[in-house]
Amino acid sequence: MNLVKRIYNWVDIRVGTGELVEKELTGYLLPVNINVWFSMGSILLFIFAMQVVTGMLLLVYYVPDADKAFKSVSFIMNDVPFGWLVRMCHAVGSNMMVLMLLFHMLSVLFMGSYKSPREMNWLSGFILFNLAMGISLTGYLLPWSQLSFWATTVATNSVGSVPVVGPYLVEFLRGGKLVGPPTLGRFFALHVAVIPALIAALIGAHLFFLQRTGVSTPPFGLMDTTNRWQNDRYRYESHPGGIPFFPHYALQDLTSIAVYCALFLGVAFFDPYIFFPSTAFIPANPFQTPAHIKPEWYFLPNYQTLKLFPSEFLGIAVQVAAMTFLALLPFIDRGKEKHPLKRPLFMVCAVGGIIIYIALMVWGHYS
Amino acid sequence: METGSRRKFLGICLGGVLAGAGGGLLYTIFGYLAPRRDSNIRRAVSFPATDVPAGAAKFFEYNGKTAVLIRQKNGTVVALSAVCTHLGCIVQWQKDKEEFLCPCHGGRFSSTGLVLGGPPPKPLESIPIATANGTITVG
Repeated sequence: MNLVKRIYNWVDIRVGTGELVEKELTGYLLPVNINVWFSMGSILLFIFAMQVVTGMLLLVYYVPDADKAFKSVSFIMNDVPFGWLVRMCHAVGSNMMVLMLLFHMLSVLFMGSYKSPREMNWLSGFILFNLAMGISLTGYLLPWSQLSFWATTVATNSVGSVPVVGPYLVEFLRGGKLVGPPTLGRFFALHVAVIPALIAALIGAHLFFLQRTGVSTPPFGLMDTTNRWQNDRYRYESHPGGIPFFPHYALQDLTSIAVYCALFLGVAFFDPYIFFPSTAFIPANPFQTPAHIKPEWYFLPNYQTLKLFPSEFLGIAVQVAAMTFLALLPFIDRGKEKHPLKRPLFMVCAVGGIIIYIALMVWGHYS
Repeated sequence: METGSRRKFLGICLGGVLAGAGGGLLYTIFGYLAPRRDSNIRRAVSFPATDVPAGAAKFFEYNGKTAVLIRQKNGTVVALSAVCTHLGCIVQWQKDKEEFLCPCHGGRFSSTGLVLGGPPPKPLESIPIATANGTITVG
């Protein structure tokens, strides 16, 4: 018996590796009609890991001090070997993470995978989406540029429209009346410790729910596309005669990750400044708001909505209502049908919602 | 029965102690994170009157916020909060038009802080000033 096999046997006897591999990998069967959209979750796991690694590398040189933050980022970009690559991967990766999260949510929506018994999968995923937006917002301030400073000013100011406690909430969030050094300290702590820990915990919960309920059957290529789950007791949705996760679907996951990497590195190498307007290269000046300050592309619909409503409170209330509706969708849409073409009301709402979201984004960009 | 009621009583006591400890912990965390009080103290700020020539504006920090001092063309000196009442951006002084413009969403204010156009819901906050012996004291 060679050494590797002996080590394997030693571990196997103690933790039951073989049984675990059989249960969770080679014997873990997926629906026969599974498609490429099911690999979005794996891509997102890969992105999160990349963000953690590049974030740790940035922490080596980044200084979370209002007087030094911009200089430290400039130092990373210009003087540290491959610092530009690490920073670009982190900045581009954060945008890609939001983009992929949107694709993941859309695939779940259109394939009806949020329906019973997967309400908790949807809710944990929805919270993860909001945490991703939060980690992007808090990370945006850290370079302490004009863009970061004023985008954060506008974003935090929106909280002020909450009745009664709004002004205090803004001050609490900023650590002062205006965005300043205390805000940087708070956002840094949120960005590198609090939100990543919450995201890791929520990813764990999301995967646990997935493991307990089983992968949902996509509604394509089947005669019966209704949700056959019965609301009487816990049932694991197994797929007898299905495709093994390993090596079959794991290979699809790897292929999808490779395609994502091509896209990601294409942006990072050939058009890295696509997400950086000129104000991102000017140090923050609390006395001068630059003209035409805009938030990141994924906050543009929120920004434009705020501009559309005469009252800021109304603008926020509409967004809160839309997000609450989305969060509670599995409890509102109780229909059995999963095929998008057999759900006309859903299709009208979903396509209409996407068109409005994109229109607000484009409008916000050019307004 | 007696054992049961004793257990219940002890359970309630334990719950109370845990709730108290939890409340204490939350209060401590809140106190740690709450904005520092000393940054909110109003302190008067003084400038030589020559710092603000006619038609010009001077931006400075007052009461933890950005403020602006302007001398109108008729010689009147006015101090206002420079924080736009819409979303908190800092307004810019348009010397030729004698009005403020918010670069974020195009809000316009008069030299006395009144809303002239755009989304701001309220005028700019006015700050009291006093002029004596060639010195302008704000606040």
